[in-house]
Amino acid sequence: MAGDLSTKTPTTRMYIRVALLLGLLTAIEVALFYIVELGPMSQGMANPLLISLAIAKFLIVVGYFMHLKYEIPLLSRTFAIGAILALGLYAIVIVETLFRTAG
Amino acid sequence: MSAGTAHGHDLHESTGVENRKLGMWFFLSSEFLFFGALITNYLLFKGRLDQSDELYPFNFYDIPFTSVSSFVLLMSSLTMVLAHHALHEGDQERTRTWLLATAGLGLVFLGGQYFEFTEFALNGASLSAAPVWSAFFVLTGFHGAHVLIGVVMLLVLFGTSLRSPTGLSEHHGLNVELVGLYWHFVDIIWIVIFTIIYLIP
Repeated sequence: MAGDLSTKTPTTRMYIRVALLLGLLTAIEVALFYIVELGPMSQGMANPLLISLAIAKFLIVVGYFMHLKYEIPLLSRTFAIGAILALGLYAIVIVETLFRTAG
Repeated sequence: MSAGTAHGHDLHESTGVENRKLGMWFFLSSEFLFFGALITNYLLFKGRLDQSDELYPFNFYDIPFTSVSSFVLLMSSLTMVLAHHALHEGDQERTRTWLLATAGLGLVFLGGQYFEFTEFALNGASLSAAPVWSAFFVLTGFHGAHVLIGVVMLLVLFGTSLRSPTGLSEHHGLNVELVGLYWHFVDIIWIVIFTIIYLIP
């Protein structure tokens, strides 16, 4: 295997457990969607939970499947810079548009 | 640039990471801006529609169907990482099997997307029906294009592995890792799309 792959990569069993966890989190997301549809929970309450679940899934895939958990910090920083830039930039765009349309 | 040697294979790096791998991470990082723009575009156009509008996207979405598609793509990340892991262990046969399984799951996802797009269009939500639908089709279509490119790369790796008597070499091992990184990235983008576009009205 090409040189810089970390020797601390997870085992097959670990990968399967991670995938099962991802499946479970997806099932919880879909269940939340239907709980809101049926009425017991408001959309306002569900949204932070849905976003938290998506962030958790995102971090699990990046950490375990993309091995970022086991790589040198340079790669994490490279990846994080793009994500933070995009999040910041488009948050500004959305807020600015909301203010402009409200005004 | 410095060149080191590990296991008889030249490593081109000056940062502790192979240059091609670092390049892939930079590329994936820049892709956030690309998909971020498309997601923002969709959200802004969606905000202009009232929920009672007949073209409001949530009147069209089939959540159970898209949930299954999302699950398929998530599981393709598992098969991808298992292909990478099998190659790391030197098991060429399992590597080939998992690469093919990943490509197959990617094709299932694309088939689902084609079905979904067709259903939407038949129900009046075409590309030109409303700005929000243009934004939706461009966003999910570009994601689908990324999946298709991933499938092609996986099949090329599979073909390379079949052609070579010794399977994928150490050099190709890095290619598997790079394609894997790309594939997982496509998966995490779908994680975001599924939640923001489909689950949050």
